[in-house]
Amino acid sequence: MKWFLMLLALPAFLFPLASLVYILSHAWDSLSWSLIFGAEESSSMIEAGQGLWPQIIGSLWLMLWACILALPVAISLALFHALYASRPQQRGLMMILQLLQGIPPIVYGLCGLIVLVHLLHWGISLAAGGVILAVIVLPLLTSNMIHALERIPAEQTESAKSLGLSPVQIIGRVWVPLVWSGFLTGLLLAMARALSETAPILFTATVFSGVDWPDSMLSPVTSLQTHIFYLAQEGSDAHAVGVAWASAVILLMLILCFSLLALALRRLEEKV
Amino acid sequence: MRHFLNPLKIFVALGCLSAVLSVLVLLGFLIQSSLPFWQAFGIQVLWGDAWYPYESLFGFLPAIVGTVWALLIAMIIALPCGLAAAIVSSEMMSETWRDLVRVGMEILAGIPSVVYGLIGLWVLLPFLQHSLDLLTGHNLLAAGMILSLMILPTIMVMSQDALQAISQEQRESAMSLGLDWQQRLFRVLLPQAWPGIRSGILLALGRALGETMAVMLVVGSMDRLPEPFYNILEPAQTLTSRIGREMGEASFGSLHFSALMGCGLILAVMAMGLSLLAQRRSLIR
Repeated sequence: MKWFLMLLALPAFLFPLASLVYILSHAWDSLSWSLIFGAEESSSMIEAGQGLWPQIIGSLWLMLWACILALPVAISLALFHALYASRPQQRGLMMILQLLQGIPPIVYGLCGLIVLVHLLHWGISLAAGGVILAVIVLPLLTSNMIHALERIPAEQTESAKSLGLSPVQIIGRVWVPLVWSGFLTGLLLAMARALSETAPILFTATVFSGVDWPDSMLSPVTSLQTHIFYLAQEGSDAHAVGVAWASAVILLMLILCFSLLALALRRLEEKV
Repeated sequence: MRHFLNPLKIFVALGCLSAVLSVLVLLGFLIQSSLPFWQAFGIQVLWGDAWYPYESLFGFLPAIVGTVWALLIAMIIALPCGLAAAIVSSEMMSETWRDLVRVGMEILAGIPSVVYGLIGLWVLLPFLQHSLDLLTGHNLLAAGMILSLMILPTIMVMSQDALQAISQEQRESAMSLGLDWQQRLFRVLLPQAWPGIRSGILLALGRALGETMAVMLVVGSMDRLPEPFYNILEPAQTLTSRIGREMGEASFGSLHFSALMGCGLILAVMAMGLSLLAQRRSLIR
């Protein structure tokens, strides 16, 4: 029985590992400084000749806006949960958050396409992408923050209250030192999530090429995620394939930066 | 003290209000803009089998069948493997290895779907094409296989958590009753862990249902019913890949656009149903 289980489990360990190794090994050949920062000789076949720098910047911009918009809302929802909500309200909030987390990202993309791109006339823009990504990461971010706040021992809050501290003082002096690492973990995970979403920004925020630097909130951007997708559509062109693998590995590295940092922080927290 | 309380209350109220408003507005407009379509064609599009947007034929059945097949294939592959991997790592490995596997799985869960799509497109499709001798590797089997790779970490991490949550006393009393390893697994550990495993499965299903990019790249995007219905080696369509493919072509306000919104609405309803099912058990527990 044990051997049978091990045999069954083998693909679960092997295939993901194999695909990771495959991506890395493929991208290694095509990855170079000139690919990222642009080369003098541009290959006219693919417009990606100018390097992947604009795509990296675009992805990071989208992520940044998503987090800037989602962070205060998530904090206030978490505070509502911790300070003002009654027991049924708390349970309802958690249920709604999980429900929202279950809705596929592409559905949020559709909603954003109607409301932001068409009805508000923002067009395909950085702003639309940022708002949609913010809505997508909001449930994740909020529930992480609620869990971080729940881990505060009740005695600490009680004794702070008995000392006559006001809610603002309790938050500033007692809670913040206790939960900042938990909040940071949640934020990093949300950043990784915002970077990996592709479908919702495909029609709302990004174009294939021609944008080096978004001049305003209402101009379209390019992003690594969608760049990979567009290149994958190009098909058999060897250069496009190489650039796609390289973009994939850059994207993966960016995401790993955030998620590994989050995992390390969480581990640190559990040890203390 | 009142004086200090107010800014905090205002901040909290503003934040909550904006969250509620934005979610309501977004979902409300999704329903509103799919309304013209439901009014024009009614509910029977759900089992119509022809989808030709330019001839105003909107049948959802091919995409729904495609979605169900892709989910089924993904589950058939990922469930036994993931569960076995969870059992092996939770019951048969040392602490260090278990942590290592867990970190690995969490990293894998973070790989963006479009990268899985690349693997599917340039590794899996040629492989399927050669080994099964097909005209094109684009088919439901490929979509299911890629999906199974993507949901494996979810199933495994959730099942491992559920198994780890069983107390040491339970294990020891089972041992003291003289049950052997296999009996302990099937009589004690798995029944105890089942609620957790179940919600893991439902979460994984929800993720697979909403996955767009990877599926879109490998499924082939052909709007027809599998012929016969168990033929999973032909190009097909899922709800998400249809939205992804056709959103760019449909003009705002047209019936086609509205029909795609209908697709989105069906997806949202299905996903919310799965999510509710996953929560129901955990609330009772």
